[in-house]
Amino acid sequence: MAGIRVPRITLWRVIVAVILAAGLYATYARFALGFSQATHLTDPQPWGLWVGLGTLCGVGLSAGGFGIAAAVYLLGFERYRPVLRTAVLVSFLGYMSVMAGMMYELGLPWRIWHPIVMWNRSSMLFEVSWCVMLYSTVLALEFSPALVEKIPWVGLRTCYLKQQHRILIGLVLVGCVLSSLHQSFLGGLYLLTKGKLDPLWYTPYLTTLFYLSAIPAGLAVTVMALYLCVRSLNVRLDTKILSELSRVIAPMLALYGILRGVDLVTHGAIPYLFRWREETLSFWLEIGLFVVGPLVLLSLERVQNNPQYLHWTCSLVVMGFMANRLNVSITGLQTSSGVYYVPKWTEFAATLMVLTAVVMAFRYAVKYLDILPKNAGVRS
Amino acid sequence: MERTRAILVDITKCIGCRSCEQACKDVHGFPKETEAKLSPTALTVVEERGDKFVRRMCMHCQDAACASACLVGALKKTSLGPVTYDASKCIGCRYCLVACPFSVPRYEWTKLVPYVKKCDMCAARQASGQAPACVEACPTGASIVGWRDEILEEAQRLVLNDSKYAKHIYGSEEAGGTSVFFISDVPFEKLGFVAAPRQPMPALSAAALGDVPTVVLVGGALLSGLYWITERRNQVAMAEGEKKAFTPKDTKLNHEGH
Repeated sequence: MAGIRVPRITLWRVIVAVILAAGLYATYARFALGFSQATHLTDPQPWGLWVGLGTLCGVGLSAGGFGIAAAVYLLGFERYRPVLRTAVLVSFLGYMSVMAGMMYELGLPWRIWHPIVMWNRSSMLFEVSWCVMLYSTVLALEFSPALVEKIPWVGLRTCYLKQQHRILIGLVLVGCVLSSLHQSFLGGLYLLTKGKLDPLWYTPYLTTLFYLSAIPAGLAVTVMALYLCVRSLNVRLDTKILSELSRVIAPMLALYGILRGVDLVTHGAIPYLFRWREETLSFWLEIGLFVVGPLVLLSLERVQNNPQYLHWTCSLVVMGFMANRLNVSITGLQTSSGVYYVPKWTEFAATLMVLTAVVMAFRYAVKYLDILPKNAGVRS
Repeated sequence: MERTRAILVDITKCIGCRSCEQACKDVHGFPKETEAKLSPTALTVVEERGDKFVRRMCMHCQDAACASACLVGALKKTSLGPVTYDASKCIGCRYCLVACPFSVPRYEWTKLVPYVKKCDMCAARQASGQAPACVEACPTGASIVGWRDEILEEAQRLVLNDSKYAKHIYGSEEAGGTSVFFISDVPFEKLGFVAAPRQPMPALSAAALGDVPTVVLVGGALLSGLYWITERRNQVAMAEGEKKAFTPKDTKLNHEGH
């Protein structure tokens, strides 16, 4: 008989439930009690985890979509086409998470539309906000066929898909330009922190470095997402593509590492590299995770041809990338601010909840939409 | 150029009576309690540094970092000199706090509808010809107000003619020049003044922002070019392929259609 189906209690469901409960309390704290109860933010450290992780990492790690879209549509690398939808989906959900995070991060989130009508062209943040708004729209349009093709009305469906296809190349092109702009301008935000941000991170080339680090990090996220789909969502995919993507990641990381080194030498930050202090340790952790570790691992044939090892290597890249963004936004400003900021648990809870929502949305999308081809006999 | 207003603080004359603090609180209707640090209810404070008293307040930069940072233009350098804040525009992003080289703006962290708070040099009072409340309240003349060029000349005259003064006017070069100046008989770094960059802060991001049209045009053209090449290559491949057997692609993988 059709009784109420009690969901099976599994470890993952328990974890998700705990994150959800904590996240909901954090939401309550943020909106009903205010910043001082929900965060450890202070005047000397006005941007914390929600900016450092939610925004800087959220946007940066969503760079895979524009990279793969450019490779397929503009450069004609057809071999990446099978993973294009996955990459665009990850990026789209990433930007959605950034928007959701903004609701927590902004003091007056109901005024989020203000930059649309109140302009300040000399503000880096103004450019970032416009690029993010426009690019989110581009991503939504790029991804829309996956949803529209599930519409039962043939006429509407074909009409939309035809129109979408007509503007697709334009969308990809615009998306590339917008991404290039705001990925670098997120670093540009910190150009104004001259004298405050530690010399290990402050450089006039923050823009370039942010851009060059976002692309390999975005691709690494794509690799991880694809691997997880193959492992747990019964997806049919030639895992050679993971090796191919990793082969692109490695030279990008090397280029980033070299430029970072040259930049440190040219602006005289070398003495700071060998001082016994927290900033320097964080710096080496970042370089180890983001550049050295992955480059060593990716040079090993055993890693190159093993999807699982590639997945773990890419997770190193992602962690290293996050270390970099958190160093710029938190560690590097610690000394000048004079406060030692450790996020409050509610800050973690809110961020984790948004991230969990992204993972769940991704899972459902892969399950119910045609993101990746599935093996026969899927249970759903 | 329009003449702008400026404040000169002579640290040698400050006796730490905190009349300026109180006058500021009166004007804004803040609670009277003395506060040790700048706060949303203390837009100027007198900090003790050894036997010296250092008044802290917004420096009202000539080319203000906060005004360039503010994405909605809530912070503005007004033609009279003060950097003012329009609360009705603010979205609460707090980039101004990050950007300020003097770490002056404060945020109402405890409020549910929080705004940025900082000294506005009593812009409204000055517009009607009155002095800022803090300057008016100063009993020793440690804080004076006037036209910026005259105030700067006065500061220079004092520093050059009296050997007790450290040979620097704080604010004359910091952040490209401010509208609040300090002169002192103790070197500024010993009083906890930050060594702010000696250039207008907005210039730091202006170069990158200036690249936008280039990135859009060159990037757009480059990408279009690459697309054109790709298309052309496909056409050639197609034309050649027509002679040979046509091999259909795996339509399952080919989501985007052709």
